[in-house]
Amino acid sequence: MKQIIIFLTVSAFMLGGFAPVPASAQTEVVKTNGDARLTLPSAADSIKFLAIGDTGTGGRQQKELAEVMFEYRKIFPYEFVIMVGDNMYGGEKPEDFKKKFEDVYRPLLDQGVKFYASLGNHDESTQRFYKLFNMNGNEYYRFNQGDISFYALNSNYMDKRQIKWINDEMGSDASEWKIAFLHHPPYSSGKKHGSSSGIRKVTEPLFLKYGVDVVFTGHEHFYERLKPQNDIFYFITGAGGKLRSGDVKPNSPLTAKAFDKDLSFMLLEISNDLLHFQVISRGGETVDSGNLPRREQ
Amino acid sequence: MKTAQKCSLFLAIMIFCSIGLSAQTPLTEAEKRIFVDVEKRAEKYIDQREKFNGQLPQLSTDSTPEQIIAHKLSLRKLMQSARLSVKQGNVFTPAASRLIKRTIKAEFKGYERTELRQRVLDADTKGVALKINFVYPESKELVEMSPALLLSLPQLPEQLRYRFVGRSLVILDRDISLIIDFMQDALP
Repeated sequence: MKQIIIFLTVSAFMLGGFAPVPASAQTEVVKTNGDARLTLPSAADSIKFLAIGDTGTGGRQQKELAEVMFEYRKIFPYEFVIMVGDNMYGGEKPEDFKKKFEDVYRPLLDQGVKFYASLGNHDESTQRFYKLFNMNGNEYYRFNQGDISFYALNSNYMDKRQIKWINDEMGSDASEWKIAFLHHPPYSSGKKHGSSSGIRKVTEPLFLKYGVDVVFTGHEHFYERLKPQNDIFYFITGAGGKLRSGDVKPNSPLTAKAFDKDLSFMLLEISNDLLHFQVISRGGETVDSGNLPRREQ
Repeated sequence: MKTAQKCSLFLAIMIFCSIGLSAQTPLTEAEKRIFVDVEKRAEKYIDQREKFNGQLPQLSTDSTPEQIIAHKLSLRKLMQSARLSVKQGNVFTPAASRLIKRTIKAEFKGYERTELRQRVLDADTKGVALKINFVYPESKELVEMSPALLLSLPQLPEQLRYRFVGRSLVILDRDISLIIDFMQDALP
């Protein structure tokens, strides 16, 4: 029986479809009416971070969201931010880096919060040299925090070299948690873009093979928590600067929870075998929260 | 064979099928030579590029935006000056263009072709002037390339990128946004 289940699960995603598995996240929605309120445990020895995407407009809304991010750091001292791409829209002159990134996140940068970027379809490759994006000259790279490996991937150009790199890096990685972040979502309920099936075909077998637990993506300008796909948890957090209001397909079989009414970011905390998440809107409302278990290796 | 071994073998085969194989028949020896020729022409561009690059202050892992832009503009200017006489087809020869078009067509069929066309034609690339030695505007989107297609096309040096712009396939220098070559009607 077990063999049949494994066969059907693997076959389903290889054929380009999906195999919904009941979500194991325990969701609770907290209406905070603008007050910073934490649903995360904020344990003393946990890894605390934030995820944002599609940020680089330099517009008023991006700044307002950054202010909420800053407010939350007072009660949840996250140390770093992962960026899922589209870090810079519409030009990359020195003044753009200032206006669309440095000015917006100045209070966080001044407090020593590190930003780790991945590249989106609006980002030039030369961002890899920009000190504040911590890419160390690489379009794809890995960094570690405690026993957690973070893989920033370049979904714009997943060529033979990058696939080999993923195999080499993940294949020799014995970390307890493996987290990938990239721009294009392998699964999405977006009306405009939808699932990036080409990326899924290549990345998902690798994620499964090497035990990736959670994947963060953007490209879609909304928040979506997907139902676990082949036991992997996928999030879309692409409303850090732009919003595509009403873009999530209603009644999508992929969606566990979605929010497309305002900009948002994700607060994240990993403590032992659980990843806790809290998603907060520009208005300070908690629109999703819960926790996920680490995949069994 | 034990159950676990059987499952592992099956998974390995499926991964190989999904990543390693394209939808098309294997290349003939003559076709392989055409692809090798594309790779050699691309390498020739890189030889010249790296010669100029070596003359410039190098970017480090903690570069400022000013340094990044200055390096980009300097290298671009040198390459543009050196390539004034270069024409379309300098990498995509007629034989290579025919073979690449056939490769793309074989790679994308049915729904996948529809999806590719929708993704490429919906992208914000309208108004990009396709001319050799011209700059790809930084305000325009860079359409993501299908990983399966990248595995089927001649492998470019890491400084160069294939991109779809409308129905054309372009080779871009990733760091200086220079259009190296392009072929029209590549999108099936």
